[in-house]
Order: sequence, then C-alpha cells, then structure tokens
Amino acid sequence: MSDQPNTPAPEQPGVEQTRIGVDSWVAESEDRQARTRGFFGPAARGWDASPDSVKLFLFIAVAGTLPFWMNAGDLFIYGLFTVLYATLGLGLNVVVGFAGLLDLGYVAYFGIGAYGYALVSSDHYGIHWPTLAALPALTAFTGLVGLLLGFTSRRLVGDYFAIVTLFFLQAFLVFTNTANPDIAGVGLTGGSSGIGNLDPLKFFGYALTSVKQQYYFFLAVLVLATAGLYFANRSRTGRAWRALREDPLAAEVMSIPVNRLKRLAIVMGAALAGLCGGIFAAIQTAVTSSNFTLNVLIFIFAVVILGGLGSIAGPILGAIVINVSFQFLQPQNDHPDIKRWLFYGAIVLFVALMKPWYRAVVVLGGTLAFGFAVHAIVSATAATSWTGGAVTDTGHASVGKAIADWVVIPNQTLHGGFDTYAYIGLVVLVCVVRSTSGWWRSLILIPTLYMTAVVWETVLAPSPAVTAEILFGVLLIVIMTARPQGLIGTARVEIV
Amino acid sequence: MTTPESKPEPRPLLELAGVSMSFGGLLVIDDLDLVVNEREVVSVIGPNGAGKTTLFNLITGIYAPDRGEIRLDGESLVGMPPHKIARRGAARTFQTLRLFLNMSVIENVMASQYGQTKVGVARAMFRTPAMRREEREIRARAEEKLSFFGERLMGYRWDQPAYSLSYANRRRLEIARAMATEPRILLLDEPAAGMNPTETHEITELIGKLRDDGGYTILLIEHDMHVVEGISDRVVALDHGVKIAEGSFDAVATDPRVVEAYLGTKATETK
Amino acid sequence: MHPLLFSIIDNIRSLGWGGAFQLLRNGLVLGSLYALIALGYTMIYGILKLLNFAHGDVYMVGAFLGYGILTRLNGPLNLAIGIVPAIALMFAVAMAGSGVLGVAIERFAYRPLRNAPRIAPLITAIGVSFFLENSVQLLTNGYQYTYNPFELGKTGTEELGPLYHTVFSVAGNPVTTVQLFVVGAALLLMAALVLLVSRTKFGKSMRATAFDREAASMMGIDTDRVIAITFFIASMLAGAAGVMFGLYLGVTYYFMGFLAGLKAFTAAVIGGIGSIPGAMLGGLIIGLVESFAIGYVGGQWSDIVIFGLFILFMLFRPRGLLGSRAIQKV
Repeated sequence: MSDQPNTPAPEQPGVEQTRIGVDSWVAESEDRQARTRGFFGPAARGWDASPDSVKLFLFIAVAGTLPFWMNAGDLFIYGLFTVLYATLGLGLNVVVGFAGLLDLGYVAYFGIGAYGYALVSSDHYGIHWPTLAALPALTAFTGLVGLLLGFTSRRLVGDYFAIVTLFFLQAFLVFTNTANPDIAGVGLTGGSSGIGNLDPLKFFGYALTSVKQQYYFFLAVLVLATAGLYFANRSRTGRAWRALREDPLAAEVMSIPVNRLKRLAIVMGAALAGLCGGIFAAIQTAVTSSNFTLNVLIFIFAVVILGGLGSIAGPILGAIVINVSFQFLQPQNDHPDIKRWLFYGAIVLFVALMKPWYRAVVVLGGTLAFGFAVHAIVSATAATSWTGGAVTDTGHASVGKAIADWVVIPNQTLHGGFDTYAYIGLVVLVCVVRSTSGWWRSLILIPTLYMTAVVWETVLAPSPAVTAEILFGVLLIVIMTARPQGLIGTARVEIV
Repeated sequence: MTTPESKPEPRPLLELAGVSMSFGGLLVIDDLDLVVNEREVVSVIGPNGAGKTTLFNLITGIYAPDRGEIRLDGESLVGMPPHKIARRGAARTFQTLRLFLNMSVIENVMASQYGQTKVGVARAMFRTPAMRREEREIRARAEEKLSFFGERLMGYRWDQPAYSLSYANRRRLEIARAMATEPRILLLDEPAAGMNPTETHEITELIGKLRDDGGYTILLIEHDMHVVEGISDRVVALDHGVKIAEGSFDAVATDPRVVEAYLGTKATETK
Repeated sequence: MHPLLFSIIDNIRSLGWGGAFQLLRNGLVLGSLYALIALGYTMIYGILKLLNFAHGDVYMVGAFLGYGILTRLNGPLNLAIGIVPAIALMFAVAMAGSGVLGVAIERFAYRPLRNAPRIAPLITAIGVSFFLENSVQLLTNGYQYTYNPFELGKTGTEELGPLYHTVFSVAGNPVTTVQLFVVGAALLLMAALVLLVSRTKFGKSMRATAFDREAASMMGIDTDRVIAITFFIASMLAGAAGVMFGLYLGVTYYFMGFLAGLKAFTAAVIGGIGSIPGAMLGGLIIGLVESFAIGYVGGQWSDIVIFGLFILFMLFRPRGLLGSRAIQKV
C-alpha cells in the first residue's frame, strides 16, 4: 500500500477541506505560500528565492556604505561595535547553537585574545610583533585554551560545562585584575589599569588608524567568518553538530564522535573570540579587564538568542538590533527623546501584536484613560509632592509636560521608597498578566502598562546603564519562554 | 535443493562469550554466549525485562560489560566508544525511535555516514574540490539507501523534516540511517513495533531483502512472532538475562522453558 | 611560583595554632552558609535536573529583605522591639519572601520550558539571575549596605552588641554568639530538611518526583505542586542563609549572590549533586577551603583555589563524594 499524495478533492466553498491521503507537509504548503502573499509578498518571495550569496552581497553593500553617511564617532559606536558583537555572536553561536554547549566563559577568550595582543604588540614587555604574526598567534593560542577547557569537563554535559566556564571567567577576571603576577619584573596584566599604548594594526607597513579603515577591516573579518561558518554548517561537520544537538546518544551510535565534535566547536568559538579580542585591543589601543565582564557576556548571549540560536544570519541581525538600541540607552550618547520614543513605541508595537485588532485598541485606549484618571485622582486627593517629581531629560518641553500630566511621578527625595514598591508592584502585575488569559488578561494589561510607564519614568530612565542590563535579563527570559528560536531561527519540534 | 557441499561454511561475524552485566545489584545479563554468522538473521525473543535491549546496548558500546568478550569479526569491541564500534560495522535501530527529528530525511541518512568520510571542517570552510566530491558521494549513497524502501522515502520526501513522517516511515528511515553506516551487522530493535499486519508483512519482507540482496547480517529483537517465524534462520530466547533456548523457530517456540517464561508455569502443565 | 610558596609557608608559621583555630572557626561558619545554599541547588537539580543559576540571587534578596526589616524597626541602633523578636522577624520575612520569589521564578521562567532541550532553561536561569542582580542594583543605587550587627541590641555602655559577645574562647581566640548562632541555626534547618525528606509523606513524593517525574505523576502525585514546594523550601533556606550572612558580616550588596552561588554550586557538586548529605558535606568543605585559602594563600587567590578544586573533581570524580553513579537507561 503506497502513500503517494492523491490529487486534492475538489474545493467546496465554505467547507473546511480535509485532504485524505495527502501528507501534512504537502497540505501545509499552502500556508507556507500564504506567508509570501501579503503586503510585502513580492519582497518576501524575492528574498526567499534568492541564493544565500545574494543575501550576503546585499548585506555587504549596505554595510559598506555606512562610512559615507556617518561621522567617525557614530561609525565607531554604531558600525564598528555592531560588527564586533556580530562576530563575537557568530563565535558563540558555534558553541551554543551548533554544539549545544552553554559556554559562560566565552568572554574570557575575548579577553585572552586582547591581552595576548597587548603582550606582544606594546611597550609593556617591549615586544612588537608584526600584526600578521600577532593575530594568527593569539587566535591559535586562544583556541588552545578552549581545547584545554574542553578536556576538563570530561563528560561535557551542558550543566557542568556551564559552571566550569563561568568559574574560568571568574578566574580570568581575578587573574588579570587583582592577581596580576609579576613576570620578568612587570605585572603581567597591568592590574586594574590594564595595558595601554598598544600598536595599531599594521599590514605591510600600512597602519589602520582611522575608524573607517578599522571598520572595513573588521567588516571583512565578519564576512569571511560568516562565509566560513556557513560552509561549515553545510558540511558533514555541520550535519554532525546538528545531529549531536538533536540526540547525542543516537549520534554517537551513528558513528559521530560526539565529544570530539564538541571540542571542535569550543575551539572554533574560542579562536574566533580571540581574534576579535586582538583586533579590539588594537583598535582601542588599550586593554583592561573591565571590557570582559559578565555584562559583556550577557550582551553577546542576548545577541545570539535574539537573532536565533543555530542560524548564521541570526547573530548579525541580533547584533544590529541590540547594539543600536543599547547605544541609544547609553548616558553619553543620550538621545532622550529617541530613548523615550523607542520605549513607548516598543510598548505600542507589542500591544499591536494582539489579535484581534480591536482588543489592542481597547488596551491602548484604556491605558491612556486609566493614566489620566489616576493622575487626576492623585493630584486631587494626595499631597502635591506625589506628582511633583521631575521628568528626566526630555528634549521638548511639551513632551515633558504631557508625560507629567499622565504619569504619576512623585518627588524623589520625599518618597524614596516609592521606587522599590512600584518596581515590585510591576513585577507582580506582570506575573498576574502571565497567569491569566483572554479578556481578563487584556483588562489587567491596562494597569500593568501604566505601571510600566510609571516605573520607566521614575526608576529606569534615570539610570539607563543598569536598565539596559535589566532589559537583557528580561530579554533572555522572554525569548526562551515565548519564542526560543529567536527572530530568524527555525522553530524546533520537540516530540515528547 | 542445494547439496551440502555447495552451501558456504557459516562464518561467525559476531561472537559474545560469557557476557555479564549488572545495574547496581540487579544482574541483567548473566553469562551469555551468542554467535551470529554471516548473512544470518538471528532473532532474540523473550519477555519484557529479559535484557534484550541491554544486549544491544552492550554490543554497540553504550554499556560496558562487567565480564565477558564481545567480538566483531575477531576484533574485541569491549571498551570501545560507540562511534568506533559503528565504524567497525555494527549499526542499530532503537526500540523507541531516536531519529534526528529536526533534520530532513536525507540529512538523517547523510549524517550517519560521518564515520566513513573524512573531509574536515577546514576543507569544508574553503569548499575544496575534494569536499564537494565527497558531499556528492554522501548524497548519492543516502539516496541509494532510501531507495531500498520503494517510493516512500523518495523524491519530495528527502527534504521534509523527519518529524513530519508517519510512524511506519520513521521506522523505515531509522533503518535507512543505520544502513548508511555500511555496517556488516544490523541490530534491529523491534522494527515491527506498533505496525499493522500489512506493514508487519512488509517489514518481514524487507528484512529478508536486506539479507539476500543487501548481504547484511541481522540480529533482530522482536515480539511479533509472525516476523520471527517468517524470517529467522535461528532464534535465541532470553529470560532474566539468561539464554534459555536456541535453535529453529519451531524448536524454540515449543520449548517448555520458553513457554513458561512467556506464559507462566501453569501453561506448560496444560500444554 | 616560588615566592608564592614561600609566602604560604610564612603565613602558616606566623598564624600559628591560634590563627589556625580562627580560620577553622570562620570556615565552619562560612561552610554552614554555603551548605544551606548548596542544599537548595541540589534539591532543585535533583528534582528538575536544572542548574538554577538564580539561586544565589535569591540568597541575596533574602539578605536584603532581612536588612529592610531591620531598618524598618529602626535598627540596628534603636530597635523598636527586643533583639530576639527582631531577628526572628527578619528571618521570617526573609524566608517567606525568598520562598515566594523562588516559586514565582519556577512558575514563570522554568515551567514553560519543562520539555525544552536542557539548554533553554539554563539560559533562562541566567536571564533571571541577571534580572535580579541588576534590579536590586537599580533599587539600591548599587550601594553596599552595612548594618553593624556589632550594634544590634547595644544598650549604650558595652562595646559591642550582644550578638558579638564572646561566648567562650579557645587559647585566647574568641567564639562569638553570632558564630554559634549561624552554625546552630544552619544545623537546625538542615536537620529539619533531612527529616522532611526522609520521614514525611511529602518527602517521599519529593524523592519520587526526583527519580522519575512522569511515573510519579502517573502514581497520583501532583508533580507541579511538589516542584513548587521544593522551590519554596530551597529558596527559603537560601533566604535564611542571606540573613545569617548579613548578621555575621554586616554587609549586603547586590552582587553578593553571584560569587556565593558559584561556590555553593561547587559545594553541591563536590558533595554529589542530587544528594542532600552531599550538599552539607560539600558546603562545609568549601567553607573550610576558602577560609584557609584566604588565611594562608591570600584573598585574591582563594577563588582560584576553589576553582582548581572544582576542576580536580570534574576530572577525577565527577559524581562527587556522596553522589551516585548516574545510570542512563536507554
């Protein structure tokens, strides 16, 4: 008895068509085609149909034009750093996405590469290797460190490996920051002040000293790494990685040397991170351990998770989204109005994703009304100090006034405890939202959204640096619980 | 009718001698001797908990025996990691399917060829001609193995994710994946589990085809006696880790100890 | 490396027996704290096979809750109520609050991922940990809060509050009330836990769920409830440890959970992850190792020493001292 797909039964309008004899993959093909039929249909179809090389060329073309319309300062923050995080994300993706190992010490490889460069290309020990020798050397060295670390966790089971690597990161930070042993009369790592005055990257006498040059160089590295990993993914090694991620035992029985492949992934990820470290150090012309903290690790994780674990383009997309938003939040690049629009815009977008559309409208309208109502009640009944707080950095006065009329911002000095209670209240409300569904959820969403605005204005906006870290943590939780495949990853099917 | 002289001398391919294994205090396999000759189909039967799957796990290196010898074509497998055993020529399917579900059908069959191929990740990243040639060979071999099952796993099915296959097709895919390792002995763990009579009949014929056309040696765990009867050259019965009978199907099926193991003492008395 | 070795020997000699006793005493106190936190790690790992990275931060939140209560009572200098009820209240609130936090974390961050591949809840756990640390940093402006327990309950004339009175001395080295209290309270809590797990019906359902969750639920055990209560107990212990840390060392700051959690996890692994007596033993060992490492080798190297110990166990005895060899039934 063969199960060839039969020709579909003739369409009957209004009746749900069950397609007996047609397997589910074929039956779902229409759904897959519907995706490309909407407003962006032709563009989506063109994108899907074009070979991956074309996509890469498009990316290079767009990225390559950046120096022509950005000034050097912006290019450094938005261009160079995005490329850096994209490359780091690619490397982490190999370890976490391909081999399924949680490497929490990844940023230590980044640091080892950077310090390695500092040791061989500066006045610290008077060693000045040419770049063409230094970069490959520290890449190989960092890969070797990764290999050694891989050997210690002999079972290479995810959980233990995570702790070993986290400890390794701690040890690295302690070693470079405080231990700083004396070797050859000089503190090896320069302690908390690090090592400065590093040689710039020099190729055949041509030094990369301007941001534009460094950007193009790093971009080239990113492109090469992307292409290399793309090909690796499509080879027998890539298949073996995916197999061991699916079912390590079955993979092992099917002739795949699981531990060896895991170590290979660790080494490759570490080597790439080391290379990034060396380039980064040269660009900064200095290296301190503060560049390699846990915060940076979480940043890279957020980049990979948001983009999509296991996909090649994922880290690049993730880096763009996260770095650009992050830099907006930085105090020194403060664009207060943009920051605010980003925040409220994100909320509106999130609500707009609700279906059906009228529910979203009700929630948004309700939140506005609720806010004004609360504000009016508080102004009328409570002391003026409850609404007397200052709205932090607004560009336009009218924006500030509108916000002050809507959000209850108490005077900070008189009501110091308000922050904590509001914050905790918000967390509780979010938990309640998560536990309810249907119309109840939409209803509770209204005070929750308002509370979010209150907390933003009073607690978060004044401290953008810490807020960014909080948002990273939340991002990891939300993505793993709601959409584990990230933005452009493919959803995994788990058959329990 | 072939004369005895023209029949080839049966050559042992897989030999187990005195194999014992315990989990904690529980003795699961007790001093087991087993021989599987080339191009034979040997079925292992026994009630649940008899140690059949443990036997497979021992042969494929997932567990290490406490005592005893396991030899494939004269070479000892004890202590070898599973992926090396796979390369030596022992491949298996799992009682509870363990496919690479999120990979496509053809990728499943291509992935298991890892042990016979050698292009490393460096050459892959540069897409050398050697790498491209090997990829083509891998793909061709995968398609060939899948064609063993008729039209079912061919054509448009190649690029479907494995989780979209029907149950029977998944069992077939798992066999195909094991075949792609070019094994000398195939260990099939309950290949007919959960199948209707027609599918069971097909599986029985398939196993015969594997032996006759494919030249495989097959060690089979099965509960369905139709399959066992239909295809086995020899049957081995286990109970509580001990071999209690061995021989042709008729001899084993009527052996009083086997009946007792499956049905209890009363059954042997009432027979 | 030579200078390091010489300085170690130097330190040992100069500290002498008195110093050694002090290190031992400190190590026991620290070890009790680590044991309490390690118990939480081991319980959660045993029941869900999950490394709860956020556990150390629950400990930190507990410390802050205790501190919050203390300041509400106008402590440490002008306690509104007696010192004993004050401390009792601190413990009650911290333990309850941490317990609730733990249950919430399980409910919203881990439960949706029960059937996901192992790496997913690990990543979420990191997210939760990061969220907690930075939230507390935000709300406390990153300050390291000190509250002098030396002052607690002081009535004006004596030098130190009753918590820091010497109870007895060994060769001139004092052992104070708070030190005895921490060790005693920890022992009490651990004993209660062991009784709960081994003697009660609920303890039996905990063990059943840890052994095989699916089978347990088919036997009529409400596994979701058992898991939630496990998290509650584990977090409660961590919260208690947080308050004790605050009383003993007098500081709380947002980052204290991270390192303590790491070391406590090491303790759980060394003792044998999933084993309750193992966690207690491991905690004690880590506490002693850290104390002696600080004393003999130097503060900046103590973390590296612990790291080295962890690596040694990973290489040579991954199942820990009291852990059982995991059999994977295929």
